Amino acid sequence: MSASEQTAQALPARAPASKTLKQLLHVPLTMAVFALVVASLANSFWLSAATSTVALSLSVAGLAILYGQLGLVSLCQFALVGVGGWVTLRIGHAFHPPFEVSMLAGGIVASFVGLVFGIPALRLRGLYLALVTLMLAGAFQIVISAWGFPDGGPGFLGRADGSGRAMLPRPDLADGAVAYFLYVCAVTGIGLLVAQWHKLSRPGRAWTLIRKGETVAVASGVDVLTYKAWAFALSGFLAGIAGALLAGNVGQLDGRAFGAFESLNLFALAIVGGVFNWYGALIAGLLLRAIPALLTDLGMDGYMTIGIFGVALFHALATAPSGIAGQIAALASRLRRAAGREQ
Amino acid sequence: MIVIEDVMVQFGGVRPINGLTATLTAPVAGLIGPNGAGKTTLLNVLSGFVTPVRGNVMLGGQPLLAMTPLQRVRHGLRRSFQTEQVVEDLTVRGNLKAIADHVVAAPDRHEAIDEALTFVGLGALGDRLGQSLNLFERRLVELGKCIIGKPKLILLDEPAAGLTEEEGNTLRELILRVPAEFGAQVLVIDHDVELIRAMCKETIVLDYGKLLAIGPTGTVLAHPDVRRAYLGEL
Repeated sequence: MSASEQTAQALPARAPASKTLKQLLHVPLTMAVFALVVASLANSFWLSAATSTVALSLSVAGLAILYGQLGLVSLCQFALVGVGGWVTLRIGHAFHPPFEVSMLAGGIVASFVGLVFGIPALRLRGLYLALVTLMLAGAFQIVISAWGFPDGGPGFLGRADGSGRAMLPRPDLADGAVAYFLYVCAVTGIGLLVAQWHKLSRPGRAWTLIRKGETVAVASGVDVLTYKAWAFALSGFLAGIAGALLAGNVGQLDGRAFGAFESLNLFALAIVGGVFNWYGALIAGLLLRAIPALLTDLGMDGYMTIGIFGVALFHALATAPSGIAGQIAALASRLRRAAGREQ
Repeated sequence: MIVIEDVMVQFGGVRPINGLTATLTAPVAGLIGPNGAGKTTLLNVLSGFVTPVRGNVMLGGQPLLAMTPLQRVRHGLRRSFQTEQVVEDLTVRGNLKAIADHVVAAPDRHEAIDEALTFVGLGALGDRLGQSLNLFERRLVELGKCIIGKPKLILLDEPAAGLTEEEGNTLRELILRVPAEFGAQVLVIDHDVELIRAMCKETIVLDYGKLLAIGPTGTVLAHPDVRRAYLGEL
């Protein structure tokens, strides 16, 4: 055996745990740099856009679990964001608990709804699952446009109907715009970390086997039902937290912003951003909120983004199925290899 | 030892396996038969993806059919597939870990993976991604997955398909070592009669869901019925 082979065989004995840790460290470090740069440069308009960018990237991370890990197309993710937002506002106005409690309630309920929305996936894949989940998103659109979001009124729906609409207060430790942006970055950072940990450990491996095929997964001892349910619950939870963070941003939510089209858009941009790298979620969030904000800032119609996104999606599907994040990762590894050769 | 008693599988009006009775005792046994003979169906019966309408299968004295596919895996049943199923975005080590997660107790997982990597000779490729492996390396990963977690019976569905002769020979040598080193019986399903002849002491031949011949490989392959049905001789 050559010397290089010996080192290669000796290394893995201690490598895996510390390597996972190193891969996980990328998440908080990147989030911290991003948060500090934006917080120190942005004006109030951009800060608000950046806050929703970061919050939404959490729901994209949920989509990336379903599509990138399990290969399941779910087109109702934005509806789950709405569920999380609704529950957060409802709990917040009814009991006035700390924001974190309302937020967790939103995440948990969205997680259950996500689990229910995932039931078709036990039987369906591909186009059929996409259609069924899109219809669920459509059903949510009808419900939410009839109910609206709670704004401090009486009754189960909590609608104030015009007079005396209340705002959901932001968390006590993050009342200002900058503080709340940093708060959202911290919560999202934790959420992305949880998602990334899942990807790098036992559930992630089980999910990739399910993506290969259910018989393949079963033949490897994977309890397919449990791991699928887990993925849907986690994905729903992340969407729910994203909804809570959005509700906290302006203190209210608008039912018209939660149509089925938003779920479609979210899925398309998740692909453009990249579902196989964790930072693809952040890129998708930027595309979703920062690009329209940029166009508005330049005095153009924000709806132009739909056309731009269509082209971007076509480009991603045709030439870069791992999205922008995948291209960044490939570039980074090329640079690393080039640097390695020079040494 | 696998004991198959009067197993019948029925899909509508078709009986891919029709009253099959056979006992396999060799450490490495072969299963051959022409297309549509019921080989893959038998494999699916053994691994639990197809439920027979009647019959009984015993593995090492324990009834197999009462167990779910998952219970069979935990009980020590392993299988590979005709098309290799290596996950592209997991490393070689990750691919092995994916099964070790479910069949090896946490403290022993690392050791089991190292042992499998060394056995199939992929120790140096542990950190390579599945997508960068060639077919031979992928087949080795598949074999590595099968020997993790104290297997009792390993079903290999055309393990050497698409390999060069040299690669096939290397794989064959490895498979032959499995019973002695891991204590598992191996059942190889293949079209390649030479591979079966070189590898298996005992062979079972199926045709139209029925047992055509069973016994020592040399004798079975010389059987006139087998030559007629499978090798195309008149």
